[in-house]
Amino acid sequence: MAPVLVLVESAEGSLADVSLQALTLARSFAGGEPLEVLQIDPDPGAAENLGDYGVVSAHIADHEGIGSFGPDAWAATVIQLADRISAGAVFAAATDRGNDIMARVGARLGLPVAVNCIAISAGSPITLTRQRWGGSLLEEALLHSPRPLVTVAMHTVAIERVAGSKQVEVLHGRADVNERDLLVRPAEHVAPPSGGVSLAEAKVVVSGGRGVGSKEGFAIIEELAGLLGAAVGCSRVVTSAGWRPHTDQVGQTGTKIAPDLYIACGISGATQHMAGCKGAKRILAINSDAEAPIMVNADYAVVGDLKEILPAISAEIRKAR
Amino acid sequence: MRVLVAVKRVPFTGGKMVLAPDAMSLETKHLGFTISPHEECGVEEAVRIIEAHGGESVVLTLGPPEAVEQLRDAMALGIDRAIHLQTDGGEWDAEGTAGAIVEAIQANEAASGPFDLILFGNESADSGGFQVGLRVAHALGRPVVTGLKGMKVESASVRCEQETSDGRDVYVLPLPAVLTVKEGLNLPRYPSVPGRLRAGRKPVATSTPARPKARLETTRLVVPAGRGRRAELLGSGPSAAPAVVEMLRSIGVV
Amino acid sequence: MNPVSAVALALCLMVAIVLFSRRAILLYRLIRMGKPAKRFDDLPGRVRAEAVVVIGQSKLLQRLLPGLMHAAIFWGFLVLLPTILAAMIGIVDEHATLPWLGEQGWYALMVDVFAFLVLVGVITGFVIRKVQRPERFVGSHLGEADVILLWIAGIVVTLFLWHASRIALGLNEYPAAWAPISSWLAHSLDGALSPTVERAAVWAHVLLILSFLVYLPYSKHLHIFLAAVNVFFGRTKSRGRLEPVDFEVPAEEVRFGAATVTDLSWKQMVDTLSCTECGRCQDVCPAYNTGKELSPKLLIMALRDRLLADGPKALAAPGAKLQPLVPNAVTDNVVWDCVTCGACVRECPVGIEHIDHIVDLRRNLVMVESRFPEEAGSMLRDIDRASNPWGRSQGDRAQWAQGLDVRVLQPGEAPPDVLFWVGCAPSFDERAKKSAISTAKLLKEAGVDFAILGPREACTGDPARRMGDEYTFQKQAQQNVATLNEAKVTKIITTCPHCFNTIGSEYADFGGRYEVIHHTKFLAGLVREGKLKTLAGDRKITYHDSCYLARHNDVIDEPRELVAASGQAVEMPRNRERTFCCGAGGARMFMEEKRGRPINEERVREAAGTGADTLAVGCPFCTVMLDDGVRETGAKLQVIDLATLLSEAVERRRQSDQGSVRS
Repeated sequence: MAPVLVLVESAEGSLADVSLQALTLARSFAGGEPLEVLQIDPDPGAAENLGDYGVVSAHIADHEGIGSFGPDAWAATVIQLADRISAGAVFAAATDRGNDIMARVGARLGLPVAVNCIAISAGSPITLTRQRWGGSLLEEALLHSPRPLVTVAMHTVAIERVAGSKQVEVLHGRADVNERDLLVRPAEHVAPPSGGVSLAEAKVVVSGGRGVGSKEGFAIIEELAGLLGAAVGCSRVVTSAGWRPHTDQVGQTGTKIAPDLYIACGISGATQHMAGCKGAKRILAINSDAEAPIMVNADYAVVGDLKEILPAISAEIRKAR
Repeated sequence: MRVLVAVKRVPFTGGKMVLAPDAMSLETKHLGFTISPHEECGVEEAVRIIEAHGGESVVLTLGPPEAVEQLRDAMALGIDRAIHLQTDGGEWDAEGTAGAIVEAIQANEAASGPFDLILFGNESADSGGFQVGLRVAHALGRPVVTGLKGMKVESASVRCEQETSDGRDVYVLPLPAVLTVKEGLNLPRYPSVPGRLRAGRKPVATSTPARPKARLETTRLVVPAGRGRRAELLGSGPSAAPAVVEMLRSIGVV
Repeated sequence: MNPVSAVALALCLMVAIVLFSRRAILLYRLIRMGKPAKRFDDLPGRVRAEAVVVIGQSKLLQRLLPGLMHAAIFWGFLVLLPTILAAMIGIVDEHATLPWLGEQGWYALMVDVFAFLVLVGVITGFVIRKVQRPERFVGSHLGEADVILLWIAGIVVTLFLWHASRIALGLNEYPAAWAPISSWLAHSLDGALSPTVERAAVWAHVLLILSFLVYLPYSKHLHIFLAAVNVFFGRTKSRGRLEPVDFEVPAEEVRFGAATVTDLSWKQMVDTLSCTECGRCQDVCPAYNTGKELSPKLLIMALRDRLLADGPKALAAPGAKLQPLVPNAVTDNVVWDCVTCGACVRECPVGIEHIDHIVDLRRNLVMVESRFPEEAGSMLRDIDRASNPWGRSQGDRAQWAQGLDVRVLQPGEAPPDVLFWVGCAPSFDERAKKSAISTAKLLKEAGVDFAILGPREACTGDPARRMGDEYTFQKQAQQNVATLNEAKVTKIITTCPHCFNTIGSEYADFGGRYEVIHHTKFLAGLVREGKLKTLAGDRKITYHDSCYLARHNDVIDEPRELVAASGQAVEMPRNRERTFCCGAGGARMFMEEKRGRPINEERVREAAGTGADTLAVGCPFCTVMLDDGVRETGAKLQVIDLATLLSEAVERRRQSDQGSVRS
């Protein structure tokens, strides 16, 4: 039996959702083959829950320098483990780290890597579907490889637990890395500038326009953004009124963003603004004008006074937590 | 100092995906083309590095004959010369691309000396394979760091900043090295027209590498359903809040 | 005949002429150094401009008091010219005068009357400057103006004194009754003093004139020579057309706009030297009037000062390195504040074409130095790569026409009677689309054979050109001309005045010659022909003239026909050719307005002040800017395109007809 090896990442003591998604896809690919994981963080806390996702063995690498393992060291470790357990395939979530490590694994093994997959089936050859253009286009492909190396596109696979989960066997193993593998490693870490989430990289942006009414009116926008871990953006009307700095502005003449969710409050949605947020995967428009241009460009809409709606949403989110 | 930057010609889609009749590529009849966004920052960085340290910059692409347009665009920003690995327009997979690039680099380095720095985009806008730069680095035996948003070159090393979920990790690599960069590294300059006119006269070395069999073989492209945005009305006024939160939950934001 | 006087006069004349000539020759050489400009077309139009603007003082008379004041002085100057010669003759021989003319009573009358008018003019000038103190003089050299007015007064006063004393001495060759003022003065003169007064006055008169002549080329009064020249060489047709950059010449010789004074064309140099610092341009500039740095007057004055400072250096040492104009003479802010609305050009009585200066400064900044407001960079790149300024998919360009059964012209098909050029904004902007939809529906209703190009319609390049990126503009122009010529299109209508101006006036330079009609004009024609029947409603409508329609292209009346067909019209104070810009021109639609007050809000306030409930527009940019302005100010106005208003009127008529048929 050829187990499928999955690289998992954790954040704040629990496994990252994207790793669970990768596990789900790996499990469906594995058919009945055993699922084993390698935790690529030096934080072994969350291994116990893995049985819910069909994992048989959880491997934790031991090394004195594990805290500063760079991508080469992890790639070497992955390969060692894969060879040791004769893994038939290796999966990871398509995070920056996951893609980085897997690509190095592929380069070292001389094997192709399929990045950002949303579906994959075993076979000869293997068939898979992967994302292009950041998800705006899909590619169906055949993978000719004796040991498929796959990263799973984030937030495209629904996490599934198994019924009747078994206890996970937690195994420690020594990571045998050489000098060369340790060459590329972080020398220092720079904390993010205080002041919340960066607009350009935020996954969620809560943005306000003329309907917000004033500089002080942005308090409810900031409140919702805080609850969602989101960045705050705004439209051109707002910056020309001096309510927000120009760096917060989304649009043709501001910052172009591509968040997973863009919440546009009191923003009419003229072309130039849409040019800045058209890359958003989803747009929620909150506007008092049901005929506002943005209504045709959004995925979801709420019609009404944002001064009442936003606090209500924030309250609802707090209730849900 | 010698710096190489690799670029790819990608269509400028503006958000709507329309497939060609054979569903193997996008319909490009009404599309313009550009250098893939991450790489534009790579080109700008290469120009800045040579401006600061002296030496020579080279731009390279694997692409159809029309891709020379992107090479000229890069040279308009100040890159000195170009290498064009010409294809017939079909898409090569990441392994094949990396292989051809490695051969070209080795040939160039044998003739003109090693590249202190080779820059790639983190991933190309279209195929998004995330691996060409890493494969090339491995084949050349050079250290590589990805996803850089900051870079400072010294005479024998480079200090790079990679963005993580909680700030930035700083790597210091000895030269020669390979780096993959992300948009936001810098703000590419707008090419001057004298630069464009000069670029028309700069040298482009063209060759036609043999295409290996792809091990990740595209069979079809598909436009995902549900791209049309008709706003689903979740409700009116504050009473819509629960519906909103439900939606937020369903997409994983809450 | 007094030989001493003759010699003295000859000496004075020689000195004056030499001093004048030295300066005049320098100015001439500076102008000759200027880059070429093609300004010899349409001679009849140029002559007409001279007659109307210079002789007729048409632009000055728009402001009645200053206009009359200046007309008095100018026409007076023309009438009094022969008296200079008469005075010089009189110095040499007090008994002699101008042959024939000096004996004409009617001429003496004219001289008296006009000399008096000049004096009145000068006093009026002082009243305006010292009592009224109009805003337009902020930044002008008022001291210099005072000196000039006094000089003129001195010349006229000495003329009167001379004539009066001649009459008192009986030296006049014409009947004294023909010169009432001089006669009256003569009576007031002490007889004994008359000879002294006569000599003193004539010498003072001539010396004042000669010294004035020498002073002229060192002062803004130079306009008395150059204004007529500058007006003659101004644009007569195609006022909205900019001179293209010639990229075909060898790369080192391409003129990328103006980096230093030596890059200015001779016309631009004459522009700067003609300026009288009157400030009429400043008064109507939307940027200046909303607290921006730009003042067209100060811009031209700064360029003039730099020309006079650096120009001689360049003449002395050709190829000498000169200071760049931006930011040394003109700041970056000033260059980018301009909306190219042309209000300044329209107001200028001496024919200065400020827009050419701004655009040439921009051309250098954008094409050579890549130095421009960051936010406009993505617009330029998007036009280049995506063929529209917002980077939208060209495949979506005809989406607005879905369900309207509009023909999309395919390659190789026979052209329609009329090509409807939609434009980028009406294709992609939700608010601007309405005008395209209404226009298409009305054209169909009227049975017009038309088609659109759809995805093959690329941005005309107007915003790139106004920003100074001539390279991107010409790429677009060539592409569009090729498409239109291949399709054998001859007649085009468009809703966008910028497209209208660019295709109609500017594409001819690239081989594109078509009959281009603005949609308001075309639709007004359909209404007149009875192909569209309308019924006016009770909207109170104020119409905003777009700069590129009214000022650059004289489309003023037809939009008003559409307003009249739709409701009741009420005009804004600044209307027709004196319209106030919405703020989007000069590519400012794509730039941030970071300084001063928003121009669009200013205009919306003016519109709201008329008491109208509807603000009619004929331009997609105006639509967006004014609609934004309405949202920002909370004004109770609905911004609607004229085509949509006309649609309403047509529908109203249809309902009314059906109603009357039923009953």
